[in-house]
Amino acid sequence: MSTPDLAPLGVAGVGRSGPRISDPRSIPEIVLEAVESALADATCGYDDVDAVVTASVDLFDGLTASNIAVTEVVGAVMRPETRIAGDGLLAAIHAACQLWAGAYETVLVVAHSKPSMAPADLTPWAMDPIHLQPLGASFTACAGLQARVLTLDDPDAEGRWAERAARLSTLAGRPTSPAEVSASSVVASPLRERMRAPLADGAYAAVLSRGEASVLLRGAGHDLCAHSPGDRDLRHWDGLTRAAGRAYAVAGIDDPADAFGCVEPACLYPHEEDLFTAATGTGPDTPVSPTGGLFGGAVPVGAGLSRLVEATRALRAEPSLRRVLAHGTWGPAGQGQALTILEAA
Amino acid sequence: MNDRVERLDVPILMDEAWHYASGEAMERFSTGLAARRIEALRCDGCGRRYLPPRPMCGNCRLRMTHWVAVDDTGTLEAWTVVHQPILDGRTGEERPSPYGMGLIRLDGADTTVNHFVQTGGPRRQGVTPPGPPLFIGQRVRAVWREELRGAMDDILHFEVVEP
Repeated sequence: MSTPDLAPLGVAGVGRSGPRISDPRSIPEIVLEAVESALADATCGYDDVDAVVTASVDLFDGLTASNIAVTEVVGAVMRPETRIAGDGLLAAIHAACQLWAGAYETVLVVAHSKPSMAPADLTPWAMDPIHLQPLGASFTACAGLQARVLTLDDPDAEGRWAERAARLSTLAGRPTSPAEVSASSVVASPLRERMRAPLADGAYAAVLSRGEASVLLRGAGHDLCAHSPGDRDLRHWDGLTRAAGRAYAVAGIDDPADAFGCVEPACLYPHEEDLFTAATGTGPDTPVSPTGGLFGGAVPVGAGLSRLVEATRALRAEPSLRRVLAHGTWGPAGQGQALTILEAA
Repeated sequence: MNDRVERLDVPILMDEAWHYASGEAMERFSTGLAARRIEALRCDGCGRRYLPPRPMCGNCRLRMTHWVAVDDTGTLEAWTVVHQPILDGRTGEERPSPYGMGLIRLDGADTTVNHFVQTGGPRRQGVTPPGPPLFIGQRVRAVWREELRGAMDDILHFEVVEP
């Protein structure tokens, strides 16, 4: 497959609402704050937006179709809207494709979820209904299985993951020691409670355009593996390797080990950072999640777009970072993978 | 925004049942389970034997029609003990935790299946004694339900095969 010659897009504005562990507001109220914030950041209004791409998942919202709750607040009435039932970064890539195709000049991307409103872990219902749901397989169980596979040839893994989780929690404003992580209760062995980024309510928004901006979207790629974890080699995030290959080709990156000022992976657990680093080929000296990544609050569906928002803010604050990778993932054990490459203009 | 403002919650309670068509491949697989028979579908392109069976090899993008027999013994490729209670999709009730979950490569298959793995000895007087330690590469075998009904949980769980 040939590599398309795609002009950089502008990240004209970003906004967020949360993350908060339990936000008492309604989903439209949460989303509205993120959208207004992104539009203000882009110094534009609803009328300047040509199309909207939203990301939400019916299961998490307890609603079919989950975008009907946000139609007004994202400005999608009498306007083309596409809903992505996956991670918000996938929605951003969809919006980028619309812009690259020349269909629109400005597209608003919005992702949200509110896990605090659900009674329990809903992910078993996101598994195959015939052979996995009857067994109660959940995303948490799949993460435990994947982590276990990684410990096979790496006896020091659990200690390293405890240190990483402690570092990320501390960076996110919750000072934590590796000993506290290792002493926390088991969630799905070998993973422990404080190895898991806390789930949170929130919404993220970004205004992408074909115009000038201080931060540019230079490349993007996404990929999907088989749904059943039993079909996959869980030691690798092969889908992310393929997604990265596509994004690097578009952005003209030959050596990812030396390409990024920092990377923003959407990792719910510390073992996923090992998978991320190996799949993307980013170097050992590349700073990872300097503000704590998802350990500051992981909003399901919004997590990947939150990394794009964070990357944009980082590049604006520190243009010398030059280039930042933002990542998103969805599905059990990293089934779906997406990444975007952002650059300071 | 003032967090102290009392918000109105609108609870939604649903009592609905979905009826999924299993499809031809899972129907044959499930019918086989009712007779303690496990079968996989093999891809003519890559030779991979898929369990549970599904109509298409995702890698080769080929329809699969060749059935092969699979044993009810296999190798533990991954395992975890889940301490987070979840709702059972069959009953709507909370499933007791902790419970062992594994990825098992049955002899004669190339993919692994998710299933419960035994993590303790027989429960007596409300206490589950520790079972044999689990490790990747361990040999396991299926423990079948007494009355089979043609579903994944006709296999209750996998137990360690003592060397």
